[in-house]
Amino acid sequence: MKKFDVIIIGGGHNGLVASSYLAKKGKKVLVIEKNEHVGGLAEYANSLSCISPIIKKELNINIPNIKDTDYIISLEDNQNHTILEDKNGKLSFVKTNADEDDQKTFLSIINNYKLFSKTLGSFMHQKPPRVKSGKRSDLFQLMSMGWKIRKLGKKNMRELLRVIGLNIADDLEDNLNNDNLKGLLSHESVLGSNLGPRSPGSILTLLYKQAINDNIFNLKKIEVTNYINQLEDCCKKNTVEIIKSSEVRKIVTKNNSVTGIQLNNNEVIESACVMSNADPKTTYLNLLGAEILDTDFIRRIKNFRNKGNVAKLELVLENEINIKNIDKKMYGKFIYAPNIKYIEHAFNANKYNHYSKNPCLEFYVNDNTLSANIYYVPYLINASHQENEIIEKCVAVLSKFIPDMNIRKQELITPNQMEEKYNISGGHWHHGDLEIDQLLMMRPFYGSSQYSTPVNGLYLCSAGTHPGGGLTGINGLNAAKKIVEDLK
Amino acid sequence: MNKEKISYKKPLLETPFHKRTSEHCYANDWYRWAGYKVAKEYSSTELEYTSMRNTAGVIDITPMHKYEIKGKDAKKFINKLITKNITNIQSNQVAYGIWCNEDGMVIDDGTIFCLNENHYRIFCAERNLNWFCDTATGFNVTIEDISSSIAALAFQGPLSCKILNLLKVENIENLKPFHFDNYKLENQNVTISRTGFSGDLGYEIWCDPSQAIDVWDSLFKFNRDYKVLAAGMNSLEMVRIEAGFIQPNADFMSAEQALRPNRMRNPYELGLGWLVNLDKEYFTGKQALIRHKEKGPEKKLVGLDVEGDKPAVGSVLYDNSKKNIAKEIGIVTAAMWSPVLKSNIAIGFVNKEYYKLGSNVYAEIYHPEELDYRKIWAECKVVKKQFFNNPRRNAIPAFI
Ligand SMILES: Cc1cc2nc3c(=O)[nH]c(=O)nc-3n(C[C@H](O)[C@H](O)[C@H](O)COP(=O)(O)OP(=O)(O)OC[C@H]3O[C@@H](n4cnc5c(N)ncnc54)[C@H](O)[C@@H]3O)c2cc1C
Repeated sequence: MKKFDVIIIGGGHNGLVASSYLAKKGKKVLVIEKNEHVGGLAEYANSLSCISPIIKKELNINIPNIKDTDYIISLEDNQNHTILEDKNGKLSFVKTNADEDDQKTFLSIINNYKLFSKTLGSFMHQKPPRVKSGKRSDLFQLMSMGWKIRKLGKKNMRELLRVIGLNIADDLEDNLNNDNLKGLLSHESVLGSNLGPRSPGSILTLLYKQAINDNIFNLKKIEVTNYINQLEDCCKKNTVEIIKSSEVRKIVTKNNSVTGIQLNNNEVIESACVMSNADPKTTYLNLLGAEILDTDFIRRIKNFRNKGNVAKLELVLENEINIKNIDKKMYGKFIYAPNIKYIEHAFNANKYNHYSKNPCLEFYVNDNTLSANIYYVPYLINASHQENEIIEKCVAVLSKFIPDMNIRKQELITPNQMEEKYNISGGHWHHGDLEIDQLLMMRPFYGSSQYSTPVNGLYLCSAGTHPGGGLTGINGLNAAKKIVEDLK
Repeated sequence: MNKEKISYKKPLLETPFHKRTSEHCYANDWYRWAGYKVAKEYSSTELEYTSMRNTAGVIDITPMHKYEIKGKDAKKFINKLITKNITNIQSNQVAYGIWCNEDGMVIDDGTIFCLNENHYRIFCAERNLNWFCDTATGFNVTIEDISSSIAALAFQGPLSCKILNLLKVENIENLKPFHFDNYKLENQNVTISRTGFSGDLGYEIWCDPSQAIDVWDSLFKFNRDYKVLAAGMNSLEMVRIEAGFIQPNADFMSAEQALRPNRMRNPYELGLGWLVNLDKEYFTGKQALIRHKEKGPEKKLVGLDVEGDKPAVGSVLYDNSKKNIAKEIGIVTAAMWSPVLKSNIAIGFVNKEYYKLGSNVYAEIYHPEELDYRKIWAECKVVKKQFFNNPRRNAIPAFI
C-alpha cells in the first residue's frame, strides 16, 4: 500500500490550494473528494473579484479579469434603480435618485470602510496568534495587531473602535438619506451571515469581507470555474493524487495521534498527517468522533454557529432576459435589497427558522439564464423546505423587473441540499458565522485555532478556519504552511 | 397571575423524610441543599456527632444528585467521564471517582454504582446533568436525572450493622465495603450500600420515596438500648473532616463553578492523584493531567495537626514562628476540634515547600471570645488528611 505524507479530506478550493502547496514543498499528497468533481461550494459562487495575491504568487496562477468595468445595480420597485460603476476598483455613480450630498457621503463611507479593512487585511493573510499559548511569536503578533490599529491615527482608530461592534443600519442611518443606498450596503454586510442590518457586528463582517475580497462589492471579475480548473491543474502538475467520488467515513487515531483515514468502502489509508477540508463540526463530530474529545471542547464545537441561510436559484427562461429600465451594456451584479427595513423584515423570518416571504436577492443574468443567491432561506433541522413556495416568492420579486418571465427550467438549492452534497453541516456559506466571537484566533473556536486540533497530526483548512469563507484560498495556504512548519 | 411561578415565593422542597425530620428538628434550623431543606442541627450537633461515633446516626441525604446511565456504551461513557479506569468493575460494586475539565481541573466527585454492564448510577453533590450530557456526545447512552425518584439515608456508626442485623436484614454483615445489594428491611425492598462519609462502619440506604417513613422508623426501633439519633449537616461536616473527605465548593471550587481560573484545582493538588489513571486511552482532561503530573502541584491539600484547642477556621497559614517576618504559604479550608481524637485538626492548602508530611507551618487563628477576637499564632504539623480511619470501616464480616 502507498503511503502519503498528507491526506486531505475534500477537494474544495481550500483543499486544492493546500495540496498544491504541500506537493510543491515535496510532500506526497492524496486528496479524497466525495463528489465526482472538485471545487466544493465554489459551484455556487458567482462573484470572484480577485485571486488573492499570495495564492497567485505561491501557486503561480494567473487568470485575467473578464472585463475592467463592472456594474452594480441596486433595484427599486419604482424602477428608479441605482447603478454604480466599478472601474478597476474605482466606484462612481452612473445613475441614482440619491442627491449629490448622499452620493458623496456614500462614496466616502465606502472609502472609510476600505481604510479600516486595510488594517484588518494585514491580519487576514497570516495565521492568527494563538490564545494562551505562552509563545513569544504569538504575543508579538498580538502586539503588532494592536500597533496596526494604533497606526491609523487617533481619529481613525477611535472611529474603527466605534464602528467595529456597531450594526450597519445605525451607521448608515446616521449618515445617509437615500433608502436604496442604505439597502445596498446593508446587503453586502449581511449576505452569507446570520445577521440582519440591525444585528450588532454587521459592520465588522462587511469590513472583513472587504479585507478578503479587496472590494466591498465582491464582483464577477474572474470566472470561478476557470479558477477551480486552474487549481486542479496545479495539483496535477505537482503530482497530487486526487481520488474523486469517494467519501471519507472516519479519521483513524491512536493515542491522540492520527494514523490515517477510513473510506466509506472500509478501505483504510495510512498517514500520520490528515487535513480536513470539511467544516469543523463535521470534522470533529462525524469524522473524528466526539468520544476522544474533551467535554469542554465538544461544548465549543456544538456552540459553533453554522446555520446557513442562503439558497441558490438557477432559472432558465424561454427568452433572453431583459431587465426593465436598464441598458444591456450595464448588466452586472443585480441586487434586490431595496431598504434596511425590507432586509430586516426578511431576517425576522430567519430568526424563527422560516424562509423570508419577501426575500432579498443577488443575481447575475446571462442570455436566458439567471443565477441568484436568495436569503433568508434558513437551514432546517428535522424539517423540509417548501421549495415551490420559495421559488414562487423569488419569481414574484423578479417579475417586477423582468416582464417576460416564461420559465423553462428552475432549480432551487437549499442549505440542506448543500449540506447533503458537500457534507457541510448547516450548509453555511462560510462553514460558520463570521462574528466577532468566531473570528481570527477564535475561529472556529478556542482550542482549535491556527489550523491545528487537539489531535496530533490532524489539521483543518476549510472556510470554518481563519479567515473564513469565500474563494480566498488563504485558509488552505496557511494550513499547509502550518503543516510544513510542524513536519520540520 | 400564577403566584406559584414566582421562584422566591416557592419554598424549598421537602424530602420524603420531612414528616420525621421536622418532628426531630427541635432547632427548626434548615440547610439549603439542591432546592431541598435538610436539618442543619436537630437539637445538638455534638450529640448527633457522638451518635455517629458511638452508636449510629441517620442523615437524610435525599437531595444528593442521582443520575441514571443506561445503554450499550454506558461503561465507555463513564470511562471517558472519570479519571480512573472502571473497565473491571463488576455488578453490585461501587467505584469512587472524580471528573475533570479539559484543563485537568476537578469538577466534582461521586460514587458510581454498577447495576450491570450497561446500567450505572452516579451519585454526587453538585448538579452535573449538563456536563454528563455533553460528555455523552457520540456514545450510545441515555442519561437521566433520577434525583427525586429515590429517597436516601446515610446510616453511619459502629453499631449500624448491628442494628440492621437486629432488623433482620439478612447477611448484611457480609456486604463488602464499596459494594451494594438489594435487601429486605422489615417488609421494605431497599438497596443498601456499604459507603459513607464517616470514616467508620456505615451504610447508605436507598429506597422508593413512598417507603421513606417506614424505613426511617425501622432504624430507630431499637432506641431503648442503642441510642440512634437523627443527625444534621453540621455533625456530618464534623465526621467528614475527621475522615479527611473533601467537599467541592468547600475545600475547593468546582471547575464548573469557579469564576476565577486560579481557584480551580487539579487532582494532584487535592491529593487525589491516586484516582487518575493516565494509562487509560482517553478521558476528559487527560492531556492536561499528564502535564500537571509532570510539573507536580504548586500547592496541595493536606491535613494539619494544630497546636492548642481553638479551631483554625478560615485561618491563613504562614511559614515562620515569628509573626513579624512570616510569609503567607497557605489557607485552611476546614477546621474543628475533634472530640474523638482529642486533637485540633484542620484541612488546608500549603505551598510546595511545605506539603511533605511532618513539615511545620503556622496558623493565625482568630478565636472569637465574647465579642472580641483572641489572635493565636499556632504551630501546625502537616499530617495525613485521613485523621480518623477505624479498622471497623473495612472489616468483613462487619461488626455486629
Ligand atoms: C450559495 C453560496 C454562494 C456563494 N457565493 C460566493 C461568491 O459569490 N463568492 C465567493 O467568494 N464565495 C461564495 N460563497 C462562499 C464559498 O463558496 C465558500 O466559502 C467556499 O467555497 C468554501 O470553500 P472550502 O474549500 O473551504 O470548502 P468547500 O468548498 O465546502 O469544500 C469542502 C469539500 O470537502 C468535501 N468533503 C466533505 N466531507 C468529505 C468527506 N467525508 N469525504 C470526502 N470529501 C468530503 C466536499 O464534497 C467539498 O468538496 C458562496 C457560498 C454559498 C453557499
